[in-house]
Amino acid sequence: METVFMRSPDGELKEVEVTTEALTPRMASGWHQVPAPAAAQKPVVVAEEEK
Amino acid sequence: MANISELLNGWGFGKQTAIGTANLVATIWRHTNLNTKPWAKVPVNEDDRAEIGKGHEFPTQLFKSHYNMPAYELSKYASSEFLAWAMSFSMGNVVVSGSGPYTYTIVPALGATNPTGLELPYFSFLQQIRPGGSAVLDEMLVGCAVKGWKLSIKNSPGRASAMCSVECVTTGQYTSPSAITLPAISTPHEFNAGMISALTFNGINYLSGGSAKQFVSMEASWENNFRPGFFPGSGAQDGYQIQGRFEWGDRAFAVQFVVRVQAGSTEYANLINLTTGTATFTMTRDANNSFTMLIQKMGFNVAELGNTDGIVTLQITGVQLYDPTNGMVTMTITTPLQGICQ
Repeated sequence: METVFMRSPDGELKEVEVTTEALTPRMASGWHQVPAPAAAQKPVVVAEEEK
Repeated sequence: MANISELLNGWGFGKQTAIGTANLVATIWRHTNLNTKPWAKVPVNEDDRAEIGKGHEFPTQLFKSHYNMPAYELSKYASSEFLAWAMSFSMGNVVVSGSGPYTYTIVPALGATNPTGLELPYFSFLQQIRPGGSAVLDEMLVGCAVKGWKLSIKNSPGRASAMCSVECVTTGQYTSPSAITLPAISTPHEFNAGMISALTFNGINYLSGGSAKQFVSMEASWENNFRPGFFPGSGAQDGYQIQGRFEWGDRAFAVQFVVRVQAGSTEYANLINLTTGTATFTMTRDANNSFTMLIQKMGFNVAELGNTDGIVTLQITGVQLYDPTNGMVTMTITTPLQGICQ
């Protein structure tokens, strides 16, 4: 399941499933998409090894 | 002299970093436009006729006042790219996912939590006629915003059965010549009414079952009702004051649709019983191009009996209620283009 990172109006960071049911209530209450934190990103070295 | 058919239009599909900072060319696309007028620049002058002390009532001097830029309409056949752009820039809270195609989930931003307060994303607009050394017109309007849009669906063949027009405003700031070379013209993935794959309003499915042949047309619209953006420090262009912000006022979301009347039609019953429910409208072109408008809570305000091309019809005016959990409306658009409103 695909996910995105979102931040709540209170500053909480959460990984959220990309479904209308999961996104809509959060977006309607002011959550916003933010870039994935560095720790959640796959290292470039790993990506090259996969090739 | 030039024919209006030589007019080239391009605008930012990505958002500006600030209201006064133009889009980079990498975030500008070029599209056709059914509106055949260029966006007029209207500088306004004032005079001193109201001032006494001149010895007479006549004006003696001109003063530069402000740029009073009219709203401008982008009118296009509805496509996944254009709908994603229109909904993102008009509503403001956008989540993008996927790695091609990309899915944009969009809801109206809240003033209390929107990072830019009551302001929506801004974009730049280019209009050119014979750009280059002897351009007839070559300017980039900076700090444009989407004031509203209208989505029209009707029973007719072809692309005209699904239209989207977007009304834009701009600050008055511009660059001329633009120093931008527009990219090749985009080929949007357009919809038509035959691609409607979900059409259920307030519990009535107009696509299958007993009400399958009732639906005639629909018009949905969004209006941001921007407040004038002149304020101390809002800026100047050519000595004329320009607007430095567009803040939404009382936003309005309207939906009207027309259906044929048949025995057992439940629209009247829904109206007088104050029945509310979700409304789902989806157009699906293929796996990479779709549009869904999910209205979280719709009731019927008016159901007016009439006729459309000789068929007895009801024109329904919906009232879109704000749901405490899911808000007003969620737009979900899948399109091949990355970076819309990013």
